[in-house]
Amino acid sequence: MSADTVQTLIDDLGALLLFTMILIVAAGQIYRAIYAVAAQSLLIAIAGGILAISTGNPDLWVIAGITLGVKAITLPWVLHWVVRRMDVRREIEPVIPIAATLALAVLIVVVSFQLSASLGPVRQAITGNALPVGIALTLTGVLVMATRKTALTQMVGLFASENGIFFTAMAVTQGMPLIIEIGVILDVILAALVMTIMVLRVRSTVDADIADLDRLRG
Amino acid sequence: MTGNWPLELVLAEMTVLVLLGPLVTGAIQQMKARLQCRQGAGVFQPYRDLVKLFRKGTVQADTASGLFRVVPVFVLAATVAAGALVPVVRVGPAAFPLGDAVMLLGLLALARFLTAIGALDAGGAFGGMGASREMTVAPLVEPVLMMVVFSTAIAAGTTELGALAAHRGSSWMLAWGAPDFLGFAAMLVLLPAETGRIPVDNPDTHLELTMLHEGMLLEHSGPGLGCMLLASHTRQIVTLGLVAALFFPVAPPYGGAAGLLVAAAAFAAKILALAIYLALVESSYAKLRLFRVPQYLGVGFVCALMALALRIL
Repeated sequence: MSADTVQTLIDDLGALLLFTMILIVAAGQIYRAIYAVAAQSLLIAIAGGILAISTGNPDLWVIAGITLGVKAITLPWVLHWVVRRMDVRREIEPVIPIAATLALAVLIVVVSFQLSASLGPVRQAITGNALPVGIALTLTGVLVMATRKTALTQMVGLFASENGIFFTAMAVTQGMPLIIEIGVILDVILAALVMTIMVLRVRSTVDADIADLDRLRG
Repeated sequence: MTGNWPLELVLAEMTVLVLLGPLVTGAIQQMKARLQCRQGAGVFQPYRDLVKLFRKGTVQADTASGLFRVVPVFVLAATVAAGALVPVVRVGPAAFPLGDAVMLLGLLALARFLTAIGALDAGGAFGGMGASREMTVAPLVEPVLMMVVFSTAIAAGTTELGALAAHRGSSWMLAWGAPDFLGFAAMLVLLPAETGRIPVDNPDTHLELTMLHEGMLLEHSGPGLGCMLLASHTRQIVTLGLVAALFFPVAPPYGGAAGLLVAAAAFAAKILALAIYLALVESSYAKLRLFRVPQYLGVGFVCALMALALRIL
């Protein structure tokens, strides 16, 4: 594939990634957010495959495969299982109204495009719009984590944020060393496991949610 | 900007759009019926309804003024005029000064305004409620439509729909950039709102809690109601045609009768695809509460804004 084609494809995937991110932010029900984050991970895996073809770096194939298996299939399935197991309310409870979160998300996207436009020579080395899209995904993921009350939806934000970092890392460095990528993936799996266990335990012992834990009781 | 497409062709396109409008509605209703395991009334039912209405007499509320009688005609006229601006087979500017996409959206907004005025004029409670709801949704839909149009128009440097189609050329699928994906996503979110369908409005119901557009038509009867219905069919096909012209125009590589035939077939296929999308959305979603509608349309707004930002930055 020529460099132009790769650039166009990465740009298009970036747009679709931003779209899935908007869906995550705007989702009123937790299942929709989970499906959207699964679709986002699938797009990341496709981007990994495209970069693997264009750079001829076999490590990227491995990373794309792991992303597909772990982040697009296993982790969403685990989240789905926890939601069913806990029998929680299906509706997302935001801290600030979802419309306000959407407005903040737009602001983040515009700011990250503006910021990376000012980088100049650094941007020349990066495939397409990968840098601003990656920054926007990361920050919007943090936004989702900050504006949701329940731990499960915060996990969705964490995955989205991690997807953003992954996308930038793949596109910026044409593939990081395999060992680092695998370490990052393991971290995410570990975080998901710890959070799942914590959510289930807290739920079963004191029947409280994360938002109820911000006050100390003497 | 003028090109070489004559007045006769533009008028023929407009006539075809108006004549095909009810067929699209009928097709969507038939697909919905099939998806819900019903027999359905057939794709030609909207034509039968129109013929029936145009044969009937008119009954009018005592409180209604003369404006109420002429509103259906004005609404139909504005919508049909908007239909003239949508390219069906042409892929370039017309030979005479013709309005552009901004004019098209303006005419549709005018039709919407007149419908609301008519509903208020009749003095019925439902009409007023429908009008106020429609006017609540409209300011959320129209600016977003504008932004989607502009995000495409910036690339081509013109808002004339025929010229836009010509700029895209026949390889539209390969030429799709990142902003096009976001703009198209915004358009898919907006389509049900602009055509008055679930999840924003429900065209099949006359229950006071759910209706937006239908509430405004309650006081009309006979030929007036026929005009209003024909206008909403036309509005629907005009909106679908606008999407087709913005995002997947097909420019036949050769002129003459064969080229026109190819373009017409492509247009039918595009409208059919969008109609299938609308039928699927209508069958798989429930109508949103009115206060949830801004959040739903917010997704479209954000997508359109991002498309515009990607195009400019």
